[in-house]
Amino acid sequence: MKAIIAATILGIVMMFAGLQMKNKSSVVTLAIVLAFLLLGVNIWDLVATPATAPVGYFNNMLRIDRYALWFSTLMTGVTVLYTLLVGKEIQKVGVHVAEYFALIFFILCGVYILSCYNNMLMLFLGIEILSIPQYILAGSDKKNLKSSEASLKYFLMGAFSTGILLMGITLLYGATGSFNIVAYSFLQSDALNPLALGGVIFVMIALGFKVSAAPMHMWTPDVYDGSPTPFTAYMATVVKASAFFAFIRLFQVSFGSISSQWTVVLSVITAATLLIGNLTAVFQQSVKRMLSYSSIAQAGFMLFAVLAVNAVAWQGIIIYAVAYSIATIGIFTVLMKLKDYTYDGFNGLAKKEPLLAFVTTIFLFSLAGIPLTGGFMAKYYVIQAVMVQNQFLWLVIFGLLMAAISVYYYFRVIIAMYFKEGNAELHAPVTQGEKVLLVITCGLVILIGIFPQLLLSWI
Amino acid sequence: MGIYDIAFWILTVIAIGCALGVILSRNPINSVLFLIATFFAISGHYLLLNAQFLAIVNIIVYAGAIMVLFLFVIMLMNLNADVEPQKGRLVQLAGVVSGGALLLVLLAALRTAKYPTLESTPNEIGLIQNLGEVLFTQYVLPFEISSVLFLSAMIGAIVIGKKEDSTHSA
Amino acid sequence: MTQLVYLIPLFPLIGFLINGLGWRTIPKTAAGIIGSLAILASFVVSVGIFFEVNSPSFHGPVLVHLFDFIQTGKLYIPFTFQVDALSTLFLLIITGVGFLIHVYSTSYMHHDEGMVKYFAFLNLFVFSMLLLVLGANYLVMFIGWEGVGLCSYLLIGFWFKNRDYTNAAKKAFVMNRIGDLGFLVGMMMILFNYGTLSYGEFFGKLGTVPGALGENTYNWIAVCLFIGAIGKSAQIPLYTWLPDAMAGPTPVSALIHAATMVTAGIYMIARSSVLYNLAPFTLHIVAIIGLATAIFAATVAIKQYDIKKVLAYSTVSQLGFMFLALGVGAYTTAVFHVMTHAFFKALLFLGSGSVIHAMGGEQDIRLMGGLGKKMRITQITFLIGCLAISGIPGFSGFFSKDEILAATYAHDPILYYMALAAAMMTAFYMFRLYFLTFTGKFRGTHDQEHHLHESPSAMTIPLIVLAILSVVGGYVGLPAVISEHHALASYLSPVVSNAGEHHMAAGTEWLLMGLSSGLSVVMIIYAFTANKVPSFVPNTGLAKLLENKWYVDEIYDAVIVRPLAALSGLLDKFVEKSGIDGIVNGVGKGVRYGSDRIRMLQTGQVGFYIFVMVLGIVALFAITFFGVKL
Repeated sequence: MKAIIAATILGIVMMFAGLQMKNKSSVVTLAIVLAFLLLGVNIWDLVATPATAPVGYFNNMLRIDRYALWFSTLMTGVTVLYTLLVGKEIQKVGVHVAEYFALIFFILCGVYILSCYNNMLMLFLGIEILSIPQYILAGSDKKNLKSSEASLKYFLMGAFSTGILLMGITLLYGATGSFNIVAYSFLQSDALNPLALGGVIFVMIALGFKVSAAPMHMWTPDVYDGSPTPFTAYMATVVKASAFFAFIRLFQVSFGSISSQWTVVLSVITAATLLIGNLTAVFQQSVKRMLSYSSIAQAGFMLFAVLAVNAVAWQGIIIYAVAYSIATIGIFTVLMKLKDYTYDGFNGLAKKEPLLAFVTTIFLFSLAGIPLTGGFMAKYYVIQAVMVQNQFLWLVIFGLLMAAISVYYYFRVIIAMYFKEGNAELHAPVTQGEKVLLVITCGLVILIGIFPQLLLSWI
Repeated sequence: MGIYDIAFWILTVIAIGCALGVILSRNPINSVLFLIATFFAISGHYLLLNAQFLAIVNIIVYAGAIMVLFLFVIMLMNLNADVEPQKGRLVQLAGVVSGGALLLVLLAALRTAKYPTLESTPNEIGLIQNLGEVLFTQYVLPFEISSVLFLSAMIGAIVIGKKEDSTHSA
Repeated sequence: MTQLVYLIPLFPLIGFLINGLGWRTIPKTAAGIIGSLAILASFVVSVGIFFEVNSPSFHGPVLVHLFDFIQTGKLYIPFTFQVDALSTLFLLIITGVGFLIHVYSTSYMHHDEGMVKYFAFLNLFVFSMLLLVLGANYLVMFIGWEGVGLCSYLLIGFWFKNRDYTNAAKKAFVMNRIGDLGFLVGMMMILFNYGTLSYGEFFGKLGTVPGALGENTYNWIAVCLFIGAIGKSAQIPLYTWLPDAMAGPTPVSALIHAATMVTAGIYMIARSSVLYNLAPFTLHIVAIIGLATAIFAATVAIKQYDIKKVLAYSTVSQLGFMFLALGVGAYTTAVFHVMTHAFFKALLFLGSGSVIHAMGGEQDIRLMGGLGKKMRITQITFLIGCLAISGIPGFSGFFSKDEILAATYAHDPILYYMALAAAMMTAFYMFRLYFLTFTGKFRGTHDQEHHLHESPSAMTIPLIVLAILSVVGGYVGLPAVISEHHALASYLSPVVSNAGEHHMAAGTEWLLMGLSSGLSVVMIIYAFTANKVPSFVPNTGLAKLLENKWYVDEIYDAVIVRPLAALSGLLDKFVEKSGIDGIVNGVGKGVRYGSDRIRMLQTGQVGFYIFVMVLGIVALFAITFFGVKL
């Protein structure tokens, strides 16, 4: 709760800092300091809240529990890592550096709301607070037409999905007379009103759009590809992860009791997402575009957690969110150093920058789900969640098959780096500080892979 | 059929008809005018629901401010039917088919739905005083939080709209 | 001592870290010494543990708990090592043969610029392999399993400048992943049915707790695990990666693709012998696939001209023999053959490395000949290897192979005769290789002849050690007719339970032994007469079929690889090109035409996106309201 206020205030501070500070790099420094401050507030919140039953705030608009606080803290931690790694690159996007960071703080405000909302109105607001800054960040590189295109596309598609979300909320309200997600009357009655089920499906589609699940994924490649890379890194990680957290929160807490009504359709969505994400990623020539498709594919795996209505799924989504976010931010950091975003741009990187190539390899291992990296544990937990549910074994096998395909396109990058001749050109030499940060990030990926329990210690 | 029902149906026909007009008319200015008419019809619905304040605000803000702004933009940029991209027959067909299919499947799905009456007695919630009370007690959090949303939208307007002056950037 | 078991994988890990982190600064010689010493240290600890395990006072497996790995609800998987007879035997093979190959590599790879990296990878491989055999549950085994696959991938593609080599690496990795899929599914079924992945708990529950599918549960799990073994141990139909894997440096082929990694599948099944004993149907499949692979690979090896390809197919064939042994329930025999095979196949590969080294990289045996005069040590050790693999009495291969054949005969005589045929072919193609390489006249270029020389002692000493092992290695398991005491079987008996002991009359056993060794000698003589001079005439008919490996690669390409690529291309074409770019012009064009056109472009594209989304909504609603309900 404190974090929501803090994120808003820090965002405003950032805005005014843009007026006063003319030096871009000092703006970045300030942003890093404020991000750390926000992390501190989150930890304070976490420590100060006893692990008792969830507490409702503001007429049950919010419902704070350990999962919510811990997830907020983790996402803030990832954001701190993000600002440290990517801060320098954000300077290069445009002139309004302070505003970009202000928007990122506002996004975090949305993340916090989505982690503890207890009311459909708050879900809607959280989704919008999460999305609108993204539309702007996507279009922030105004010299680049692709960026403007991405922004407009994202905005139009996003507006459409907002309409669907509102439609869903309306139908649910019409059927039950409530916005409170734990007080929906169908939780008690036996026969489910089709009106309510329609609402559930609409909400599923709208949230599926936000997490880029097929067939609502079409915007993802264009937007991720067109946006300035530093912001793509954020959209694909923290934003997507918290949309997933909102997804699982609603579908477990609220719709969990009628799960037999929607799991079949969600399993179809999951299978389609896995198929489209993985198969299309195979054919890409640009690593950035490949990563967009891979983020669709990874979303398919995260949907496993939504599909399984049990406690393991919560653990799974937390581990997946963190493991996937860290690895993806790491890859994007390396990508931003390169001049050429195609696979050929990676040719011979191992010769030139062995450390960079090595950490990239670890990040790709994690995304591919090779054991001893965080990605393996993440996949393990979400699959375990579905296995415990004792349904959808076919989906699990299908997912594993798709994971095998994903190895192909992730390893193409490794092959390019290690096994191909070439002269991977960098924008600027990588500094010692950046190397240390990348090694720490890489260490985190492996740490999660060996001690996944660390991520669950607070819930 | 009482006066209430007659008003309801008239307003509904106007709203849907004008909404169709928005997307079907070739001239952008006509589209905007149709949209304004739609807003008026919806405001009429609000009145029927005893939400007078919302009805007025809808007209002032949407039909008044926003739509006038739209008209200005369209006229200033001199957008007329000629620049409007001509969509192919296929695209139009696709739109009609997908929209029709959606309508059909929704009707089929919801045909057995029950529509419970949520508020049986006419209440005074639409009056400004009551609305304000609810807004600042029960719904105070969404009300306040939406300021963050507007703030980011404003920042967006600045970031996107402001001319990037390369000499200014230090 | 057993509590120190964590040291065994630790040393190679340290070696990997040192060489891996400092691969630009560490001098080549130092890298070789670090890498070799790391393995030597592991070997010393392994020997110590072996003596403790082998002593009469040792009871049951010792579990060494390192840390908690996964803890979710009822599920608890610790990171634990298991020390027992089976794992200790594998420890000895891996670190012992591994050490010799490291020493050999210090000389063999000395001219290579990536030598430090090479040793780093090699140490990482040994580390993963040790994890695989030491793990006390399937998950730790799986981690090692993936690790060795990865290292094999890195080492096959070590000379990455050659495109074919990197393709070979990719092929190996993908085929292995297909197998891993089976392993994973098997693991999940175990987890699902028995709630544990630890060997001890799982085997304990096996007989008592019925699975979800009743009796069939055992078969399903066993088949899934076996699919994993097929991939890793290169059996039909996933064997094609192994011959291609010869693209890597020769010591790598010796270590990974002959002595250790490819035997992981045999290790896994031997480890799960309790499970397989309950799944006779699967055992039957194992035997059939093993036998088919043994025969099939042997036929291909007859017509290969690349010295390493012959050895590769011979490895596939020998692995087939091991699976045959597993399939007839003779687990200890399979492990026995793993051991002797590790000795003589590592010897043969290292010998071939010595030959390739002397020939300046030439691998075609038609262009060799008469090398024996110049390379006496290589020739003699290679001959010992050939004698061992052909099953000539007195050499290690005889004892293990004979035991497999005897067990097969006891199981089913028809299988026996087929296996015998494969064994005959083994003798033929190995000696064809030997005669073409080492005897007769030299057929290469003049430069090569001038260059011919014996390899340095760092390469010959491992050859000699392995040659000695190839001779004496078989005496730990004497046939029943010679000695009552089968040292290896009694050593392994607490861990591995053979499915039904077979006892046959002494006369029968003598007869079988005489038959197989006699036929081997005949084949050697035939090989000698048939291969004095190689024919350069293009093969026709069956020979051509064999030379081209039954066209299996081509068939796979046509049946699996191309349709997949086509599907992917199709998606790319329709979703990417025709769908989006086709309705409106490409983004690149738009940039050129300027902002006015861009606006149109976007409306079109977004329209298409929304069109798809609406169709999706329609479909999802249809599924929800009119589809199948759970």
